[in-house]
Amino acid sequence: MSKAILTDVTKCIGCLKCVSACKEIHHLGADVPRVWDKNDGLSAENWTSIIAKPENHYVRKQCRHCLEPACVSVCPVGAMHKTELGPVVYDSSKCLGCRYCMMACPFGIPRYEWDKAVPHVEKCIMCYDRIEEGKQPACTEACPENATIFGDRSDLLKIAHTRIKENPHKYIDRVWGENEVGGTSVLYVSDINLDFLTYPTKNFDTPLPEETVAALDSVPYAFLGMGGVMLGLNWIIRRRMKLGGGPNKKDGDSHE
Amino acid sequence: MNRVKTTKLLLWLFAGFAAAVALNRYIFGLGVTTNLNDQTPWGFWIGFDVMAGVALAAGGFVTTAIFYMIKREEFHPLVKPAVLTAFLGYVAVIVGLLFDLGLPWNIWHMIIYWNPHSPLFEVGWCVMLYTTVLLLEFSPVPLEESSRYAKIRNFLMRFRFPLVLLGIMLSTLHQSSLGTLFLIMPARLYPLWYSHILPIEFFISAVALGLMMVAFETLLSHWLYRREPETELVGKLCKIATWVLGTYFVVKMTDLALTGKIGMIFNGSWLSDLFIVEILISTLIPAALFAVGKLRRNSTAQWIGSAMVIVGLVMNRIDVGGFAMVGGAASYTPSWMEIAISLGIVSAAILVFLLVVEHFHIWEIRPEDPQSLPEVSPSFDYSSRTWLGTPDVSSLATHSLAFVLSFAVGMAALSGKRLHAEGVDSIVVRPATGVDTLCINGNRDNQFVEFPHEAHIAWIKTHAVSLTIDGVIDSISATKEDSCTFCHHFNLPGERLSNCWECHTSMYSRVDFFRHDWHTSARGANLKCDDCHTPGVTRTAESAKQCAACHPAYKFAVNTNLAKPAFYIPSYVDAMHELCVACHKAEVKEVKGKPELALCTSCHKTGTPPELRAGMKWKVSVPHYDNVVLPNVSTVEK
Ligand code: SF4
Ligand code: SF4
Ligand code: SF4
Repeated sequence: MSKAILTDVTKCIGCLKCVSACKEIHHLGADVPRVWDKNDGLSAENWTSIIAKPENHYVRKQCRHCLEPACVSVCPVGAMHKTELGPVVYDSSKCLGCRYCMMACPFGIPRYEWDKAVPHVEKCIMCYDRIEEGKQPACTEACPENATIFGDRSDLLKIAHTRIKENPHKYIDRVWGENEVGGTSVLYVSDINLDFLTYPTKNFDTPLPEETVAALDSVPYAFLGMGGVMLGLNWIIRRRMKLGGGPNKKDGDSHE
Repeated sequence: MNRVKTTKLLLWLFAGFAAAVALNRYIFGLGVTTNLNDQTPWGFWIGFDVMAGVALAAGGFVTTAIFYMIKREEFHPLVKPAVLTAFLGYVAVIVGLLFDLGLPWNIWHMIIYWNPHSPLFEVGWCVMLYTTVLLLEFSPVPLEESSRYAKIRNFLMRFRFPLVLLGIMLSTLHQSSLGTLFLIMPARLYPLWYSHILPIEFFISAVALGLMMVAFETLLSHWLYRREPETELVGKLCKIATWVLGTYFVVKMTDLALTGKIGMIFNGSWLSDLFIVEILISTLIPAALFAVGKLRRNSTAQWIGSAMVIVGLVMNRIDVGGFAMVGGAASYTPSWMEIAISLGIVSAAILVFLLVVEHFHIWEIRPEDPQSLPEVSPSFDYSSRTWLGTPDVSSLATHSLAFVLSFAVGMAALSGKRLHAEGVDSIVVRPATGVDTLCINGNRDNQFVEFPHEAHIAWIKTHAVSLTIDGVIDSISATKEDSCTFCHHFNLPGERLSNCWECHTSMYSRVDFFRHDWHTSARGANLKCDDCHTPGVTRTAESAKQCAACHPAYKFAVNTNLAKPAFYIPSYVDAMHELCVACHKAEVKEVKGKPELALCTSCHKTGTPPELRAGMKWKVSVPHYDNVVLPNVSTVEK
């Protein structure tokens, strides 16, 4: 059963308990502000952050654990991996440090340890080990307001839609993460627009890896096609030379 | 002046400088060396070293295709140098990648861990295979030096045709797959560059770039070694390039038109201007130049045209590779160290190229031949070093000297760099203002928290307080005398008013407030290492003296139970909350009569009442609420 997290922006009080719980459980280092930080609070030491928005809105940002993750599809060595349970996890022993995952992620999530001589990619792993033990992630456990909760994705979707239905004036009629880039395992309901979490995409609801698949599918054809074209050209030209008694060979360097 | 010597000297200088920077890169990591950041994780090295490098080396497969497949025999003199350039180019790409990858020693993982869904995986494999193919294609040249290797050479020559064919097929794949890399970023890459047929565009432009690179390299080496220019032959290359460039232009424009993006070219944003410049330099002007038969056969026009295509298409690769990304140009410009390393790699590749052409039969005449190079190394040019004897040794000495000197210059230029790059905080805490009542506006959202300073002083003067904060701060007893240090930790003369925000500089994250450089600098505390670190023990923050050893009045650092280094202090929010909330809760007896004092809303009211504002000593200028900047297209287009 695919697990998920549902965050209700209307309930969040911005207390940052989730942030510190995550830091604690994963032994993330102390924050030293860096020039390479993006201004959204995420960093190699912060796998989740709270983004303050006007009028006491607080939006928790974390890896969305996409159902068809771009980061997983682009990693040349498969260091990023979507598990059965839902979390997208990272295997630092395989990683090359090409940072393609950072480029490809539509939410701009993965962060890099730019200051290390042996750097790794850092991002939320949905507390994979805890989930496997049957516990819930540290952040959802720490939330005093139940603004962010953990459960099966289908159940959470139901809860999200119920909340919207029961309070249609409060919520925007949309569950963020239901369909975006093919659906994500981190869902949001909110009374403010959350599109700022995403890089703006036109084909919002199609998984990004599909963009690459078509091109990669044509690889064998391009490979063999180019070979065929070259051989064909070569054959025609040689035949023509023979027939027309074409130009003489200048040296023995070429084949024949 | 001897062109070859001067050029080589320059190249050695670049290489030496780059070597120093390379050390820095491997010891301190990417953050200190590059300007790459979490917003723009790919930059100049990917754009120039890798993507442009691969495209520049396309000359190898294009020339072999023309010569072996299409049987244009007149191009024979260009084949060997083109294959050599391609081989060195690919080696340079791999070397460049070793700098850019965070974990370069894992590069071989691509061989054992497969992810065929990844375009990068495909590019990696193609580059590996093609570099091997190029090596096999080229190796008959050095092997012909000695009859001992005749057998191997003949063996390789027998497979020349299939090898060349395989090389062309592999090149087709990875030249285009470099474009596929970016298909997954429809939102990040600026629409003028993004296209579903990016792979095709990349392939066509690589062919053009390869052709022009061969042309440019021919012109350059002829100038360098003062050989008769092969204007006729280069002219023919230019003619082919005109067609390729034309095709590139038509394909690109048709695609933009069909996807309805053609209007964006003239929308006046600086990225669209960049696009116009790129197209003009890389395609339109050179194609127009070479379309005229007379100009095509003129060597000056050949120089200009080929240089333009190279510059323009390299620019294209850099743009796609990070510059034309959403937020890319805003957050990233390459650092001088990135450019130094790239220059060094290119220089080293050119040096190897020159070495090979001087020692093997790449051209009909070997350039080091005294007849073809009359002015080679007159020893009186180096009068001071005539004792070195043969010109060879003299140039060796000069070159190593150049290398070492520029290496030293590089090290000197780097000396100011620290492992901890200077940080800027995302939310700068603002000082509290006011005297009787402090109006704390920490995260600039105009949600003031009022702190009745005088009332607190009055209260604290009549009560002795003792509190424990989360086990971190051991119970601090405030008597009437030192109660000020509750908030103003440095109870030093003149420092009574140290403000919270001066040390708790970050709104939400813990910060390292210890100023090491101030403690060691002559104008600061002027301390020697051993003043704080025990001699013989590895110098770390943990093993050093605690702050309290020198700053007895610094209450909060007196604590020695901290598991973490004492230098990390809580964020502004935590500091304020711990202090206020802990105190209010500990003294719950005192506030019992007024339970509302223990509620969040007793401090966090919405806004500050006008009457209070009017009474404030200093005006608070409230910046527009926007402490989070997230990328979107509109910020880029601006
Ligand atoms: S949000 Fe980004 S990092 Fe997380 S799974 Fe999706 S693509 Fe990967
Ligand atoms: S940086 Fe590591 S995890 Fe990310 S794509 Fe590259 S190899 Fe994979
Ligand atoms: S799920 Fe785990 S790793 Fe992810 S933000 Fe929450 S605590 Fe951190």
